[in-house]
Amino acid sequence: MIEARDVKLSFGETPALRGATLAVAEGEILAVMGPSGSGKSTLLHCLAGILVPDAGEVQFAGQRIDTLDEGARSALRRDRFGFVFQFGQLVPELTAVENVALPLLLAGTKRRAAVAEASAWFDRLDLDGLQQRRSGELSGGQAQRVALARGLVSRPKVLFADEPTGSLDSLTGEHVMDLLVSSAREQGTTVVVVTHEARVAAYADREVIVRDGKVTTAVLT
Amino acid sequence: MIGLGLRLAVAGGREAAARLVVVAAAVALGTGLLLATLAGINATKTQNLRYAWLNTGIAEYTTTPRAGVDPAWWLIRGDRFRGQELGRIDVAATGPAAPVPAGIPALPGPGEFYASPALHDLLRTVPADELGDRFPGREVGVIGDAALPSPDSLLVVVGQSPETLATQPFAQQVTAVLTTDPAGCMRCIIGLDNTMFTVSLSVIAAALIFPVLIFIGTATRLSAARREQRFAAMRLVGATPRQITVLATVESTVAAVAGTLLGFGVFFAARPGLAEIPFTGATFFPSDLVLTAVNVAAVAVGIPLGAAVAARLALRRVRISPLGVTRRATPKPPRAWRLIPLVAGVAELAYFVGRRPETTDGQTAAYLIGAVLMLAGLVLAGPWLTMRVARLVADRAQRPAALIAGRRLADDPMAAFRAVSGLVVALFVMTAASGAITSFVAERARPAGDSVAATSLTQAFWPERLAEGAEPPTVADIPAGLSAVPGVQAVLTVRENDRQVAQNMADPSGPGLISCADLARAPGFGSCPPGAQVVSVWQDLIGPRDPGVTPAETIWPASTVTDLDSRRLLSVVVQTDGSDAAKERVRTLLATMDPFGEPPASDAEHQASSTLTLVQFQRLADVVILASLPIAGCSLAVSVIAGLTDRKRPFSVLRLTGVRIRMLRSVVGLETAVPLLVVAAVAIGAGLLAASLFLRAQLDYPLHGLGAGYYAMVGGGLVASLGIIAATLPLLRRITGPETARNE
Repeated sequence: MIEARDVKLSFGETPALRGATLAVAEGEILAVMGPSGSGKSTLLHCLAGILVPDAGEVQFAGQRIDTLDEGARSALRRDRFGFVFQFGQLVPELTAVENVALPLLLAGTKRRAAVAEASAWFDRLDLDGLQQRRSGELSGGQAQRVALARGLVSRPKVLFADEPTGSLDSLTGEHVMDLLVSSAREQGTTVVVVTHEARVAAYADREVIVRDGKVTTAVLT
Repeated sequence: MIGLGLRLAVAGGREAAARLVVVAAAVALGTGLLLATLAGINATKTQNLRYAWLNTGIAEYTTTPRAGVDPAWWLIRGDRFRGQELGRIDVAATGPAAPVPAGIPALPGPGEFYASPALHDLLRTVPADELGDRFPGREVGVIGDAALPSPDSLLVVVGQSPETLATQPFAQQVTAVLTTDPAGCMRCIIGLDNTMFTVSLSVIAAALIFPVLIFIGTATRLSAARREQRFAAMRLVGATPRQITVLATVESTVAAVAGTLLGFGVFFAARPGLAEIPFTGATFFPSDLVLTAVNVAAVAVGIPLGAAVAARLALRRVRISPLGVTRRATPKPPRAWRLIPLVAGVAELAYFVGRRPETTDGQTAAYLIGAVLMLAGLVLAGPWLTMRVARLVADRAQRPAALIAGRRLADDPMAAFRAVSGLVVALFVMTAASGAITSFVAERARPAGDSVAATSLTQAFWPERLAEGAEPPTVADIPAGLSAVPGVQAVLTVRENDRQVAQNMADPSGPGLISCADLARAPGFGSCPPGAQVVSVWQDLIGPRDPGVTPAETIWPASTVTDLDSRRLLSVVVQTDGSDAAKERVRTLLATMDPFGEPPASDAEHQASSTLTLVQFQRLADVVILASLPIAGCSLAVSVIAGLTDRKRPFSVLRLTGVRIRMLRSVVGLETAVPLLVVAAVAIGAGLLAASLFLRAQLDYPLHGLGAGYYAMVGGGLVASLGIIAATLPLLRRITGPETARNE
């Protein structure tokens, strides 16, 4: 489904990726682990077409995406990928349900229909009753589940999650991961989750370790 | 702690430096405007002193006999050249000890004259038959700056013999030249109303400075969140609230001091340009735009002090604890009661339509209270209106940009409105003033350029202006070349009626008579009733008339006079094609008919003189609009930057997920352009409503359209403001880049 081959990327003089190679199968849930500064987030950003590698190539569904221009990569991220980050993803002016509906609105869905579809996710993610809350009125776990709903609402082919439980306590983090994994499997969505927590990685089908800019270890679970 | 505050202010990173620069620029702008206003008030007083000597002969003090002084004969009149006033003083010394005004070395003798520099230049470039022939003799020198109200003043001091001037009824014997402020002289008629200009300049300064204060206020909130987080971190390591206050005060004061110094620079750099603004009807000598020591001290100390106080007040809105920053209160949504003062103001002004107060004081109170209520009401109602419109936009939005922008505006309408409230004040005040002035000038029948009121010149021979025993010129004295001047269409003579001055302006019977045969040659001046041979007319064949009635529609009342040809000449009216050359040639020729009479002029020129001050105020209003719109744009731009900084994390995440930058631009555009445009429309509407109510109540005039110039100015200012906002948009791409999501 998605593949990186010998990807290299530097920030100024500092190399972040030194020839990372990785492949993710359709429907697979992959955990990318590694210590701080190892390059795991950078690898995720390259896979998602957020960053363009200096060398190597990235393919999605058999098509190179590192050679696409910014507009085409943006369209790809918007239409085919979903994202969940560690914190601060919700637009503070919008209610929770509007935040979830945002990708649908951006795709041109009418507001009433988008909100109706977004509302359905609130029940699935144990968020019922929080539809009209603003981000400032949600707990960390609730905000992260709203972000998860937003990442999945447009039924993406791949969901990229960068430390999705990094700002949550362990119990809430597990709850979020339970929901993430079950929802992704239900939809057949491929998941690439970056984490430094072994208990999060345990939810994945497979985990790889990034160290010094290279995917050094692959462990089958 | 002060040292640390200084270090943080000037070396506290890019955001601190950016805030320092923006606040300093805003303070510089405000300081520059304040200094310009103070200098304008001082320059008005200085210019008035420059007018003083022209009241010689009018002020009683100058005509009192004095031992050792040879009196001089003195006759001052107002002539014109191509729309500009031309002051003419005929003088004649009766001895060597005659008083001499500043600016000339001695009184000119018969056949000599001194010209102001502007007139001196004209005499060299304009054909003599248009101007120079009015001043017989030779130019013996140029009048010095000390005698000039303005560098552009047209003045001439013409020498005559004492015998000639002694016979002129309006000539005075003077023993001194007036040098004191004409405002303090009861009978003085030439000069400025200092108080009026001081009040007007103060109102205009307020209209300009309010948007600047809003700008300064908005700028201080730039990066406020990050600054407060920094203060919280200091509290964590042991800084006391008092020390935090000192730090904030030092930061604000540094910006204010830098801005104040820069403001002085702005003022001195702009001074030559300011001197060119003829808000008193004449331009200024740049050296007259001075600041007194008190002005300088008040501004140099007052503004940094004000900034320090503002910094203290700003910190009261937040509680900075070692664990972070909390707002003391969440802003409550504005309530509908905020509409009450606005409605009350409109109702108050509307009440007086048809019920005009009897006294001037009553009228002033009535209209001022209404206008102030409307102005305060607009500022008070603004957030409520912003909230209602924003909620409407958000509720109906189908696109994310409108939804996000609408929600943000509705969440904190006070902040959204604050950025444009300065614009409301400036636009309301200036639209109301422009509306009232434009309509007043139009109703006072400033004639169309092709009307006879603008194209014809009248030379009147009022009996009281004739020298004792002298007779007015006769038809035979009319210069033979007058009819041959290119562009002259008719030369008409008006004779004296039995009654010289009409007792009632509504009575169409004028002080003159004309034959219907003559009148028929110039139908632009009206017509005779059927069967009439002679009609009663005004000396200029126009006279007072009802608004909306053109001179050509006038039907003059028939007269029973039969001895028209034997009556004395009252006036000569010359109809031209309206060209400047034709009018000035005619004026020059007519002046030779009656060299000491009232110089010939058109009705339009008389009207222009009476409305000149109003037109100048309108120009000032235009300056205010032009200046305040970009200032409001700056406030908006700064609030855009502050809003973007607040939301750079969620916006950058949205961009990572593939949201187009175009959508984020739409959000920013809607959040700023919509309030700007809506508020401008509301302020203009309210200003026009206030002007209309005032005109109907006080003068029973309808509101006239403001003209393309006004709307072009407002449109230009709005475009400039939107341009300033657009200039911030590249920042959006930069601060929402992937590195923000990675690093913030």
